[in-house]
Amino acid sequence: MKIGIPKALYYYYYFEKWRYFFDEFNIELVSFDTDREIIAKGNYYASSEMCLSLKIFLGHIAKLVDKCDYILIPKVDNYGLKDQMCANFSCLYDLVNNLFDVKILTYEIDYIHNLNELKGFIKLGKQLNLKIKDIKKAYHKACIKFNKKMKEKIMINTNKLDSCNKKILIVSHAYNIHDNYIGKIIKDNLTKFNCEIIYSDLFNNTSDLSFYLSNELYWKYSKQNIGAIVLCKEKIDGIIFLTTFPCGLDSLVNELVIRKIDKPYLNLVIDDLDAEAGIETRIESFVDILEQA
Amino acid sequence: MNCYLGVDIGSMSTKGVIIDENNKIIALSYIWTEGNPVEAVKKLINILKNQLDKKYIVKGVGTTGSARKLIGLLLNANVVKNEIMAHAIGTLSIYPDAKTILEIGGQDSKIILLNNGIITDYAMNTLCAAGTGSFLSSQAKRLNINIEDFGPLALKSNNPVKIAARCTVFAESDLIHKAQVGYKKEDIVAGLCRSIVLNYLNNVGKGKKINSPIIFQGGVSKNIGVLKYFKEILGTDVIVDSNSHLMGALGIAILSKKNSSDKVYDLNIENIEFKTKAIECKGCSNNCEILRIYKDNRLIDNWGNRCDKYIKNC
Repeated sequence: MKIGIPKALYYYYYFEKWRYFFDEFNIELVSFDTDREIIAKGNYYASSEMCLSLKIFLGHIAKLVDKCDYILIPKVDNYGLKDQMCANFSCLYDLVNNLFDVKILTYEIDYIHNLNELKGFIKLGKQLNLKIKDIKKAYHKACIKFNKKMKEKIMINTNKLDSCNKKILIVSHAYNIHDNYIGKIIKDNLTKFNCEIIYSDLFNNTSDLSFYLSNELYWKYSKQNIGAIVLCKEKIDGIIFLTTFPCGLDSLVNELVIRKIDKPYLNLVIDDLDAEAGIETRIESFVDILEQA
Repeated sequence: MNCYLGVDIGSMSTKGVIIDENNKIIALSYIWTEGNPVEAVKKLINILKNQLDKKYIVKGVGTTGSARKLIGLLLNANVVKNEIMAHAIGTLSIYPDAKTILEIGGQDSKIILLNNGIITDYAMNTLCAAGTGSFLSSQAKRLNINIEDFGPLALKSNNPVKIAARCTVFAESDLIHKAQVGYKKEDIVAGLCRSIVLNYLNNVGKGKKINSPIIFQGGVSKNIGVLKYFKEILGTDVIVDSNSHLMGALGIAILSKKNSSDKVYDLNIENIEFKTKAIECKGCSNNCEILRIYKDNRLIDNWGNRCDKYIKNC
């Protein structure tokens, strides 16, 4: 049996946990790197109001449809009243269900209504006829391995703050900066100019720090991102805000933060058009200015 | 005597200057790119060469603008830099106390904030060309007006029409509508100039503190209609240098001076055959468009690929 995991949105938060969980049952996972073909497919299925990241997600589904038995799409709504997800995340299941003829595995996470992650995984396992005892065991094992892996990643990211190169904090949702297509252009360009890239999503408990920039926000990942600014603003040289057009959360959060920080910043908005030359010019001039300062 | 060449190859026009050791411009030229940067640069170099005194030898070449990479290869430039730096350095060499640079070019527009001669902040238009020179020139063509006459015509108007400033697509349909209901040409042209300014201040200039002295440059700064509305809306004086369109070229020439070595550059490039060939790589589903650059039928560089497959071939 093969389970398809679209390498977009959820993937960048849960994939490792899923992998460790399904490893316990020897279930194979399939996913593909984002490429131009996937973006084109996503554009075909998406409506024009959707953000590029969501278009990419739909492109991945289109690519996976005939290559696996199930596609895993959870419905994550919130981790509590002040830790909500973007509304797009909770609608993905219904969206795909309506657009594609494919078997979907799903589970809900909704802490407000007392649906935690373990309950979700039990529901997930039951759809595959796994025993509850085995599911619980596999889930706990997966959590331990996942936490260890995250710790390593966070450590690498934190250590970069002591680098002697120019340090640039990328404030972006994980699914944008770690994406193989849209994020890679940015990473490649920054590496070319000898910059150290620090990721806003790879820190421990930065959500609470977001309070210093705004106490009104209730989006889990936006809070994490801007908390990272508070955490490392003394150690970094500049900030790049990376947004996919038209992201509702970022259009509010980034505008709000930009008014309150006193660091050089670059606001990069990526659309599905291929404008690598434009991105290169913007990053190159940004790095020039950091070097001049 | 030593001199240094700076070339700024934009989407609409190609600018070149030659400066001496004291940053004084000793030769200058400004021509249309017409979609062919290589030919434009060959023409430009020819004009500059004829202006240049025989006693000078070229010790540095710099390129900037959207075709900087390609022309950098053609001229063997010692400096290839983006427009922001070039513009800031060019302007600072003439106005050392400048605080704000407004720049509107063919497809880019930018704002650069300076303090004590150091860039403190800048912004560039997002990846869409709304409110830039290419929009003005396509509208000029639609109205059957020479782009050079655009500004003087706008000044004649007492009643500029209101044109949506958000987006060029909206602006264009607004414009057609206004023309169809019988507005005078000069009112429409003035409305366009005003919408360019509003668009610029609402997008590029959003949230930036625009302090005097303000320098306005780039190709569009030659349009006195746009200048008038900048002054009117900002409520303060805006300086346009007589060489405002050459600032990028001047800046990059100064940068190449700073980076120069003993190398002497030859400006005889008319007979160099320079070709670019675009191929679509079929290696993976990214289908990258790869540009291969040939100098005298010898492959010298290629770019556009997302992996390093083509790096090995030259």
